[in-house]
Amino acid sequence: MFSLFFENLKISLSAVFANKMRSILTALGIVIGVLSVTLMGTLISGLDRSFENSMSWLGKDILYISRYEWFGDMEWWEVRNRPRMRPEYVEKIHKRSKYALAVCPVMQRGASLSYEDKETRTEIFGTNEEYMETISTDIEQGRFFTASEDKSGSRVTIIGHGIKEAFFGDENPIGKYIKIDNLKFRVIGVLEKQGKFLGLFSVDKQAVLPLGAFKRIFSKRGWMRLSVKVPEDKISEGIDEISGVMRQIRGLKPSQKNDFAINQTKAFEAQYNTLKVAIGGTGFFITLLSLLVGGIGIMNIMFVTVKERTKEIGVRKAIGATNGMILGQFLMEAVTICLIAGMVGLFIAYISSIFINRIFPSTLPIGLSIFSIVMSMVVGVLSGFIPAYKASKLDPIDSLRYE
Amino acid sequence: MTLINLSGIYKIYNVGGEEVRALDGVDLTINNNEYLAIMGPSGSGKSTMMNMIGCLDSPTSGIYEFEGEKVHIMDDGQLASIRNRKIGFVFQTFNLLPKASALHNVEIPLVYANIRKEKRIEMASEALKSVGLEDRIHHKPNELSGGQRQRVAIARALVNNPSIILADEPTGNLDSKSGHEILAIFDDLHAQGNTIILVTHEDDIAKHAKRTIRLFDGKITEDIKVK
Repeated sequence: MFSLFFENLKISLSAVFANKMRSILTALGIVIGVLSVTLMGTLISGLDRSFENSMSWLGKDILYISRYEWFGDMEWWEVRNRPRMRPEYVEKIHKRSKYALAVCPVMQRGASLSYEDKETRTEIFGTNEEYMETISTDIEQGRFFTASEDKSGSRVTIIGHGIKEAFFGDENPIGKYIKIDNLKFRVIGVLEKQGKFLGLFSVDKQAVLPLGAFKRIFSKRGWMRLSVKVPEDKISEGIDEISGVMRQIRGLKPSQKNDFAINQTKAFEAQYNTLKVAIGGTGFFITLLSLLVGGIGIMNIMFVTVKERTKEIGVRKAIGATNGMILGQFLMEAVTICLIAGMVGLFIAYISSIFINRIFPSTLPIGLSIFSIVMSMVVGVLSGFIPAYKASKLDPIDSLRYE
Repeated sequence: MTLINLSGIYKIYNVGGEEVRALDGVDLTINNNEYLAIMGPSGSGKSTMMNMIGCLDSPTSGIYEFEGEKVHIMDDGQLASIRNRKIGFVFQTFNLLPKASALHNVEIPLVYANIRKEKRIEMASEALKSVGLEDRIHHKPNELSGGQRQRVAIARALVNNPSIILADEPTGNLDSKSGHEILAIFDDLHAQGNTIILVTHEDDIAKHAKRTIRLFDGKITEDIKVK
């Protein structure tokens, strides 16, 4: 049976290469189908990775309390009318909650940072000494500020890795003074490298200051959120409890709705999964459509091939080919076109994934690559079957007479 | 020894509601190492006769035995197998595969007989040598003359050591010189003990045969043996 298999393979390859232009046009649908399914996989793998990183930066066990829900559908004016978060809440939550392991207020604004002649615009954060417990990043060099530095309004700052690289290079930044909106701050620590959040903005270009100094210098009434760390295995209990504590602080009656929001990375996950389904669904749809069109193209061209080679079929039958052998020959030809198309698509996807990887860390999933090749072969079998069956059933006498 | 036995063979077509008797009760016995010519005007049924003997077609009714095997009850697969093992076809228009070399063309029946590559090349080369084409085995059909093409076709017909060689107007597309060469090959093959059936409408060609059958309206009208 092997000799027949190789004979058929040889016939198929010579037929494919004898009609190059026709084969290319026919195969295009399959190429696009394989390309879309593999690129979609690459994209999702990249998103997964970057999402995973970003989520670990936010922390699963951190509750973010602020006026607005991350993915809420509330009216903007309703959110605006809610009372602001206040630094006093930190003490109160600590006192009343048994799940709150760390509580810190975070204020944020844009500012311009400079050192000697170098300058950059970035986000600065004002917070308290518990901040480090609510982020996943560690101190790479130096130390964080203390509670007394916060209370006394010391002008000290911890800078992100990116700022350190931009301003100091290989120099030791500890003890140096940088200017934040033209006010001098002493660098006491550097945060380790983190990468981009959801691939959007770099969290390495930040500077963290004590809230005391932040409020005194920049704003007393800025936008503020609270980060609360709860035990990892008690997240939902933590949410319930903190919610109760916040209602107490705000003095809400049982009939009143919450006038604050407790956010969590879970909200991102739900949102992200929706996005993933959307990308996956679109990719799947494009794939299905191009495979369908590709399959119809293959079927069409196979009908033409069978017609063109009617005489050959007659000769082959006369010298002893059975119906099954003829069926195998034409099926093999359809599968060969699809397989070559699939491999071309995969090759293009692989090359593209190398370029995509430079912009956005991602890999071409191996399982999906194998699947896409199998899928193109299946399309070959499905679309080649009817023409091949027709070829196998041709009457040898009529075929021999066919001109 | 009896090779082929046809008895009471009818082949009836229905063309536009009208019954056409392509073969109308044919009885024929062909023995080993006969050299037979089948003649007749067009429409006489000689093509149908050839297709019938070549196991390309099944009779509407009647008995066809090939070396004792009952051909008239065979299915498509069995017919393909008997064509592959026992019959070598030579066509008027050669019917070689244009993209394949002479050697590959001759190899094809062996592929269908599931013979491994080395053995195939050996057998195909041998067959091409026997028709005097040993120095042309890698040429494609369009690089060969008409006579050479027909010799490749004869090599293809011979390669499986068939019981009969069935040639349908083998010189019809050739000039007279090439035609004579081809007929000389058939004469040789016959001398070596092969059974040959020629289908032709030319008396000159039929003269090479040792027995001539004339068909008219689907019936055998004449069966002459030459000593």
